[in-house]
Amino acid sequence: MPNQSGTVYGLTILSPIMNDENASPSHDLQIRNYLATLPTGEESPFALAPGTHLARLVVMDDVIFVGAPAIEEHLQSKYLVFESNCDGDLDGYLTGLAAAAPQHLDAVWNHCVGYPGAANPKAFVDYMKGCQIETTFFFAAVNDKSVTETLCALQTQRAVADFIAGHQGIEPARLQAEFAEFVTRLESEPLPKPGSTGSPRAIKTGGRNE
Amino acid sequence: MSNINGKVYAMNAITPMKPWKTWVVRAILFALGHVNLLRQDVINLSFIEFARWVVVPRRGFPSLGGGQAKEDLKYDYLLFFSNFNGTWNQYIDAFSAVLSIGLNLVWRWSEKFPGPIPVTLFKEYIARVQFDTDYYFTAYPHATANDLKSAHIVQASLDSLVQRSHECTAEEFKSAYLNFVIQVQAHLGETGQAPIVF
Repeated sequence: MPNQSGTVYGLTILSPIMNDENASPSHDLQIRNYLATLPTGEESPFALAPGTHLARLVVMDDVIFVGAPAIEEHLQSKYLVFESNCDGDLDGYLTGLAAAAPQHLDAVWNHCVGYPGAANPKAFVDYMKGCQIETTFFFAAVNDKSVTETLCALQTQRAVADFIAGHQGIEPARLQAEFAEFVTRLESEPLPKPGSTGSPRAIKTGGRNE
Repeated sequence: MSNINGKVYAMNAITPMKPWKTWVVRAILFALGHVNLLRQDVINLSFIEFARWVVVPRRGFPSLGGGQAKEDLKYDYLLFFSNFNGTWNQYIDAFSAVLSIGLNLVWRWSEKFPGPIPVTLFKEYIARVQFDTDYYFTAYPHATANDLKSAHIVQASLDSLVQRSHECTAEEFKSAYLNFVIQVQAHLGETGQAPIVF
């Protein structure tokens, strides 16, 4: 199925935006204004809801005229494009979104035709699926790991680098004991939140290349 | 507008296609999706995290009633969305240099597509059909596609060492640990803030 690559789902949604001449500012501009203020880090609605690797929201104003001899044509509506690369099960993902950030979803999609609101998860899921376009070809560089697994692996990678740097030339019994402590400590550490950039690391100095 | 979040760039492009050509594109993308060998170049271009092509037929735009005017289009449209690391110029240059055959296969059916080589006309075309992203989220702003792959390699190697460590002597552990270091040493690159890109 082209929407899926391994366990990752490539969701593409085109929601028609209301075209109301009396709206001021216009609905598409209201969406853009809201998106401009929406957090993109740990407080993003896509970070609060489970399962989003990467997502984007784009107001598509029109199709693009590529020049003669092609025909110039225009869309009747503007569309809100929602492109998400998320974990598996689509219904579960959309329901999770509706539960985690209904106020943000409503603030954006209330400007779209036929949007039922996120308060009713079933209607929300049905609406989103009604606006879904099947992805024709989907590529994911890592297609067999969930967001949680990837956040965990990134945390591990960083911790392992520090452990190795600090444990060179140590005698075997001590190395084994400290490795066991390291693993216990690593397992008990809370996972970084999606969208977090992590704490900055001190610059290591004194290398051969300085 | 925010095409960039951390180390990832979001690219959107839309190109018109005559409806009969859509079926050719669908067949090519189907083959690309099912024959691993054809995807090898994309995999080798290891700065792409996710990418997709979406064919939207001229009568396939969502129509929900409620006063929404029906679309009346002559062309089908090919949407392209990519999430990649690095700059736009690096990406398009690499596309032109490495993926020219594959790209040509998919995009040559779009109106006025000049081909991926020479790269100057290709860039001009992409710049024309591209539109900007209003909101962009990534769960891993500090990591590149290679970082993600490497992190999973480190995690798998560590899990395997942890399993072994319970049942070996200190000397045996040291040897296993050294093997582990050799396995992961190329995958410990520093993640962190994105460099400033132009």
